[in-house]
Amino acid sequence: MTDANTPPHAFFLPRSGLEDLFQILQSDGYQVLGPTVVNDTVMIRPLESIAQLPQGVSDRQDGGFYRLVDGDPELSFEFVVGPNGPKNYLFPAKLKLLEFHVGNERFELDAGQPDVPKYAFLGVRPCELAAVKVQDRVFGVAEPGMFRCESETWYTLARRQALFIAVNCTRPAGTCFCASWGTGPRATEGFDLALTELRGGFIVEVGSDRGQAIVGRLPTREPTVSELELAELKLERAAEQMGRRLETGDVKELLDHDLEHPEWDKVAQRCLSCGNCTMVCPTCFCCTVEDSTYLADENITRTRYWESCFTHQFSYLTSGPERATIRGRYRHWLRHKLSTWWDQFDMSGCVGCGRCITWCPVGIDLTEEIPRFREGGHAKAENTTQSRGT
Amino acid sequence: MPHTLSSSRPEPICGMDTWMPVPARILAIEQENFNTWTFTTRFVAEEIRKIYRFAPGQFNMLYVPGVGEAAFSLSSDPAEPETLAHTVRRVGSVTRALERFKPGGLIGLRGPFGHGWPMELMRDRHVVIVAGGIGIAPLRPVLYTLLHNPDYCKRLVLLYGCRTPADRVYASELEDWENNDAIEVLVTVDNADSEWNGPVGVVTNLLRRIKVDAKNTIVLVCGPKVLNRVAAWSFLQLHVPPDQVFVSLERNMNCGFARCGHCQLGGKFVCSDGPVFRFSDIADIFAKEDI
Ligand SMILES: Cc1cc2nc3c(=O)[nH]c(=O)nc-3n(C[C@H](O)[C@H](O)[C@H](O)COP(=O)(O)OP(=O)(O)OC[C@H]3O[C@@H](n4cnc5c(N)ncnc54)[C@H](O)[C@@H]3O)c2cc1C
Ligand code: SF4
Ligand code: SF4
Repeated sequence: MTDANTPPHAFFLPRSGLEDLFQILQSDGYQVLGPTVVNDTVMIRPLESIAQLPQGVSDRQDGGFYRLVDGDPELSFEFVVGPNGPKNYLFPAKLKLLEFHVGNERFELDAGQPDVPKYAFLGVRPCELAAVKVQDRVFGVAEPGMFRCESETWYTLARRQALFIAVNCTRPAGTCFCASWGTGPRATEGFDLALTELRGGFIVEVGSDRGQAIVGRLPTREPTVSELELAELKLERAAEQMGRRLETGDVKELLDHDLEHPEWDKVAQRCLSCGNCTMVCPTCFCCTVEDSTYLADENITRTRYWESCFTHQFSYLTSGPERATIRGRYRHWLRHKLSTWWDQFDMSGCVGCGRCITWCPVGIDLTEEIPRFREGGHAKAENTTQSRGT
Repeated sequence: MPHTLSSSRPEPICGMDTWMPVPARILAIEQENFNTWTFTTRFVAEEIRKIYRFAPGQFNMLYVPGVGEAAFSLSSDPAEPETLAHTVRRVGSVTRALERFKPGGLIGLRGPFGHGWPMELMRDRHVVIVAGGIGIAPLRPVLYTLLHNPDYCKRLVLLYGCRTPADRVYASELEDWENNDAIEVLVTVDNADSEWNGPVGVVTNLLRRIKVDAKNTIVLVCGPKVLNRVAAWSFLQLHVPPDQVFVSLERNMNCGFARCGHCQLGGKFVCSDGPVFRFSDIADIFAKEDI
């Protein structure tokens, strides 16, 4: 974060300087993670060279719709978020926590979690930085004294070492609504460097000492006034061009009370309970730790997997699943994102990245759902037929 | 006063890692009924025995090597924290695996987790305990504690309901308590057999047999979901204030420390905000299904 009194000092990095940046990150021992095209989708992956960036690629996103299209051949960041993000590395979908065996008088620890790489996220979007801030709170990084008994030190370690090189969004996708939450399209905190892409290069803002040290080694120059103005203009326009909008002011209270609103039944008739929304959401943190035992050597491995609240097993009790219907599971998910997250973590569980809209196979869209809850206004519908879960 | 009367939450022993169970030996196994056993255990490591404390209503994750973990309430006397008892009803994989153990067996333990019963509020009050079936397990530490300190509360009542007489757990202790002046014990069954000469019917019917001083009563409830609801409402109808009614809830549990998300009930994490809840804190969602 920059001091509020001194305006952030900006630099101009010519496009060729991206290669220098990449080299610096590699020589500093970072594993560079950035966007690249995999199976017609922009994914965050380990990058070996700057050539893997999706240059000249743009995306079209809508409810249940994602396509890559040709973009401006001179731009490297014309697309926005794909289905994965930094969460997949800071809180991996599958992580071995420990390995042990039963000794005579004790459980002998054989191995802990794997070593945590030093990640540099290149091209991370403002909504992603906001999501990292949310998970910091969830995993207890923000409050070191807070009791979390966190054996899963992976997140904390990965997070502390990680370098964030953000790219501000000059072209939002059709499902983006970060402007409604104030989490984008411009990064305001949580980055080491933030780039705004222009044709010839990037306006670079510094957000940390680590970022400052890197800028010192880059072939930057002072930006011209017109370059600065152009970047400003692009970001302002991006905010105006958000594909979606969400009125956020009353949304917590709205979902706090309307547990029986008829819209829950309607949306449940469309929802497949596939769990895609939970798998792509950058703030979802639910997980299950499972044991696997190798009978040959009696070694026990505890592995943590992402879990989705859309499964039956998530709430399973001996008497059956607690959320037996899709209505109950969708209601839990949406209320958690927008309402009960505030009770738990004093912040929103949604940052407006739009992924749950894009990747929902039937295009369920929370920005369309919320106004419907407003319309019905606390109607009691105790006797509405509940959709039966599967 | 022992410290267990003032604190509803000692912190977990973390060992080297919370996901790493701490080994404990099974000292004794007592069969309570046809599907329920009480396992008395002791930590192998003396240093752990010295620091481990728990409050009535807290629970541990018990680990059977090679099988898995499940949540079980501490059912022993908190004044003797060097030996820990859990009363286990056979329902599935972990409980079946426990059933196969013999004394001397080695299991693992993580905990204690959660917020227990409000011991501090019971001073000079009337305490009415309503338990159903295995739901008496997390309440037995309350009974032990209050019976050790008979002057602590004004009156102690236990209302216990079971499906049949054969379903009762702690049968011999129930008999002892029936003969103890410090506590009034009423046991009812849904279906009697020829030897049963006690009351028959749901546990809330027993309310007619006791007179409660509503404003001055603390109610503690633990049982199946239906019983929890009916019991809580019955006391509210008798004008016991909603912030004096406490219910212990069950949800799916994996971690025990508000990390995995499984046990959420609305915005609450049952493992750490509960499992014991003040009725007034969950009044809006308590009776809802599918939450
Ligand atoms: C706070 C708390 C205290 C409890 N205290 C006691 C007690 O004192 N005595 C007692 O007999 N039982 C108690 N239970 C219930 C006990 O944890 C469950 O019955 C448990 O599932 C039994 O494990 P199992 O593997 O034998 O059951 P199974 O039904 O075979 O479990 C199989 C699978 O079901 C799932 N499952 C079912 N119920 C639960 C659950 N509650 N949490 C997590 N996963 C579940 C798991 O995925 C598990 O692997 C308590 C539960 C909670 C939450
Ligand atoms: S709820 Fe949807 S829009 Fe909000 S952060 Fe999660 S995936 Fe993005
Ligand atoms: S809302 Fe959409 S993505 Fe989420 S579970 Fe339902 S169908 Fe799947």
